[in-house]
Amino acid sequence: MSALLKLSPGLRAALITVLTGALCLALEPVAPWLVKWPADWTLPATEWVGAALEWLLGGIKPLARWFSGLLGYPMAWANAALTQTPWPLIIGITTAIGWYLGGLAMAALGFVGLSFVLTSGYWQESMNTLSLVAVSVPLALIIGGAIGILANEAPRIKPAVQGVLDVMQTVPTFAYLTPLLLLFGFGPVVGLIASAIYAAPPMARNVLLGLERVESEIKEAAVMSGGTRAQQLFLVEIPSASLQIMVGVNQCLMAALSMVIIAAVIGGNNDIGWEVLLQMRKANFGPALLAGLVIVVFAIVIDRMSGALATERKRYDPRVAYGILALAILAALLAARFLPGPPSWSLFDGAAQWVDDGLGAFNTEHGAKLTDFKNNTMFFAFLPLRIGLDDAVLPFTWGFQWTNAMSLWFFGVAGALAGVLWATGRPVAGLMLLIAAGVIETGVANLPWPFLFVALGALGWVSAGRNLAVMVVVLLSTILLSGLWEPAMLSLYLSGISVFACAIVGGLLGVLCAISPLAWRFIRPVCDMLQTIPLFVFLIPVLMFFQIGEFSAFLAICLYAIVPMIRYTRHGLANTPGDLVEAAVASGATPMQILRDVRAPYAAPTILLGLNQTILYAFAMLVIAALIGTTGLGQSVFLAIGQADVGLGISAGAAMAILALIADRLVQGLAEERRRALGL
Amino acid sequence: MKLLNTVAALALMAGAAGAAEMGAVDEPIKLAINEWTGQHITTHVAGEMLKAAGYDVEYVTAGMMNQFQALADGEIAATLEIWSSNVSDEYAKQVAAGGVVELGDLGLAAREGIAYPAHVADLCPGLPAWEALKDCAQVFASAETIPMGRLVDYPADWGTPGADRMTGFALPFKAVPAGSEGALIAELRASTERKSPLLITFWQPHWAMSAYDVKFVELPVGNEECFTDPAWGPNPNAVNDCDFAPSRIFKGGWSGLEDKWPAAYEILSNYQLAVEDQQPMMGAIDVDGGTVEAVVGEWMAANEAKWKPVVDAATK
Repeated sequence: MSALLKLSPGLRAALITVLTGALCLALEPVAPWLVKWPADWTLPATEWVGAALEWLLGGIKPLARWFSGLLGYPMAWANAALTQTPWPLIIGITTAIGWYLGGLAMAALGFVGLSFVLTSGYWQESMNTLSLVAVSVPLALIIGGAIGILANEAPRIKPAVQGVLDVMQTVPTFAYLTPLLLLFGFGPVVGLIASAIYAAPPMARNVLLGLERVESEIKEAAVMSGGTRAQQLFLVEIPSASLQIMVGVNQCLMAALSMVIIAAVIGGNNDIGWEVLLQMRKANFGPALLAGLVIVVFAIVIDRMSGALATERKRYDPRVAYGILALAILAALLAARFLPGPPSWSLFDGAAQWVDDGLGAFNTEHGAKLTDFKNNTMFFAFLPLRIGLDDAVLPFTWGFQWTNAMSLWFFGVAGALAGVLWATGRPVAGLMLLIAAGVIETGVANLPWPFLFVALGALGWVSAGRNLAVMVVVLLSTILLSGLWEPAMLSLYLSGISVFACAIVGGLLGVLCAISPLAWRFIRPVCDMLQTIPLFVFLIPVLMFFQIGEFSAFLAICLYAIVPMIRYTRHGLANTPGDLVEAAVASGATPMQILRDVRAPYAAPTILLGLNQTILYAFAMLVIAALIGTTGLGQSVFLAIGQADVGLGISAGAAMAILALIADRLVQGLAEERRRALGL
Repeated sequence: MKLLNTVAALALMAGAAGAAEMGAVDEPIKLAINEWTGQHITTHVAGEMLKAAGYDVEYVTAGMMNQFQALADGEIAATLEIWSSNVSDEYAKQVAAGGVVELGDLGLAAREGIAYPAHVADLCPGLPAWEALKDCAQVFASAETIPMGRLVDYPADWGTPGADRMTGFALPFKAVPAGSEGALIAELRASTERKSPLLITFWQPHWAMSAYDVKFVELPVGNEECFTDPAWGPNPNAVNDCDFAPSRIFKGGWSGLEDKWPAAYEILSNYQLAVEDQQPMMGAIDVDGGTVEAVVGEWMAANEAKWKPVVDAATK
């Protein structure tokens, strides 16, 4: 034991993990409960949660109903304002605001964007969507702002607040849809509340960050002029933090827009998201894409305009804006005279049909190749990872049967390689190799739970000390005891494999974009679209190409989760301080050497943050992935809706949040440790 | 069916259900619009009937799984096409709590079964007889199910009738849950485009039945014993070795409906729609691109005999 204590923490952690793994492997035949947690040992936690919630919800229901009744008024007003205002006027106002904020380019963006919405034939639905966003965003801003200020005023509760924000962002809305409906009734107001819950955290985080970054001189000046705390806060600190707060407003808007589709699932508002759902249900890719693009257009217009509001101080001549408005009023009068109501043009139906036919033709043409590609990936990568080499290697997959002798050989080779690594002074790498070999042999879905407890706990210990290790183990045991271990492992496997692929492919794309601005010019708009279009749209082609199952789900998750990896990698590499690069150039380094030895180490923390976002996104997509038939926690959430089982829904949602939180905290811990090591 | 409708209408006029009070005519009756076209048709026909009776009707979009709380709260007055095969347990809960009442069968004769697009018969000769599947399983195998065949089953939250059949008939197939209706359709579409094998749990009336030329596998017609007694049927060791129990399609309403709009309650309770009427309208909308309003309007004008008596019985 004393010898063990002398080792470095990383080596000690790896050694304990390997020992636990070996022990589990040896005991597995006599103690099956190490792998499969017996159903008798689970606590009826989902029932308790259900009962507790029922009691709680019953108590606050009258209050909630009153609140949703109250929200119904602004919702109705916004809806009336947007649907009654003539469409030329709305286009004109947007164009005028665009001009005022960003000149000709922004005005053109507003005009072209809204004209697209008009000619797509979804004007009415779009205005219904906008009226929802128009109420949910102020609500989210108020809630988020209040949380941010509260956390700033009472630093002691800050960690708790951070936790609450994480939960608000990671527990999928579907998980608490049933209680939400019970509490707030039915209709657009529920969608509005769901979108406010999701959109408030970015606002809160940015308000808090902005207030913390206000320079102490400014704060002291406010104290010295004798202001009360409220005066200091509202007259001095908040205005000083306004730039950061505006970033929060922008992020809040984007988050609210991305929730449009969830509001449609509840219904009650004939909006653009509902249109996407109807088309998705018929597997009409073209029309679904068209409806989805309408949401993308709104997101881009709102993002660019609110972004300009947040970062640009320059404003353009308001007289031009008034001119545009006057023109719009004229157009509105003319339209009212000659055109009855908002036109139901659908200029793009032909294009949508063409896209749809193209998809069908491609599928017919290349079906066999796509299937081969999928089968090979499944047989040689996915299946071994999920159920392990011993179950995945069969005569009709690999052409032969995996035997115990092969297992021994496999471990023998891994052990020999590990020994070589240890002997050449890299003991941790050697042990990691052994762990990886064990995981591939057993399969992620079949990992014994004590092994996972020890491995993740040890990782927590190494990256951030005892507290994190304890947190990881406690959180994992709640999943184990509530009987959700099996679906949770399937979810872990699916998210894990997606994150792994995203990290490699996204990282490489990020490097490419950092080296070549041309590549970034092409990849950036794709990233924008992937982040704002309702991902339901892409489920259709993915499904048609690769059928129901985990491969399709994997692709769908990757489409969404790869974006932050690309963005952050590029950002970190491209923004290495100029003097560092110059020093390297002066000492005669080649561009490759600069990338490897200067830019990459400097960008490491940023890239790790990107990885962390990728992890959170991958877990967030699990629910969507369940729509294409994955088993796991996502499916549990939908089962809960079908069975009206509030407890199961909340527990499965919580398990997802727990896995995401653990992954997030571990990566953050490693990033922090790395930052310290580099002295940044 | 037409005859049946007429008989039903005559019976109504003659007897028990006489004319009722109109109730709160100045308030709109809200009908739920769910996610599929057949339901839109069912609901719009009912809505037009209520309008003919002198009511104001409003159509409200509502998620199929999430509508029952709204129904219990009276925020939606009725939802007219509930399938027993995939209804949320929330419905039974709300009925038990007294917020929701059943408004009787819709009369839409639904059929569920194990199905396949027509071209699959070439890949597995012997279909539609179910015995053919015993030897064809390998044809349907996929990476996820190998060495067994793959059956695309309903989304997990609708239940697992397909998987039950495979166990019941001891067929070497593994059921894969689809996750959503869109996923089922995408599978049908991809299989038709590629001429690839597909076995799927499906139902009619559905527009995809004709669009993708879907056929049902012939399974022995079952009775109660099939689901309780293993000895019954071709497989002596298992239950569920027979065709699907016919799924019931019915209407649900807010419990306050009868008091607030008595005549509307009567109309909705007696309202019937036959597959032969719904299916062509679905085709006119989903395949030929008509709007629900126009297609339903045309049908209403041409088929007054099918719905007018129900309205008249409640109002005159």
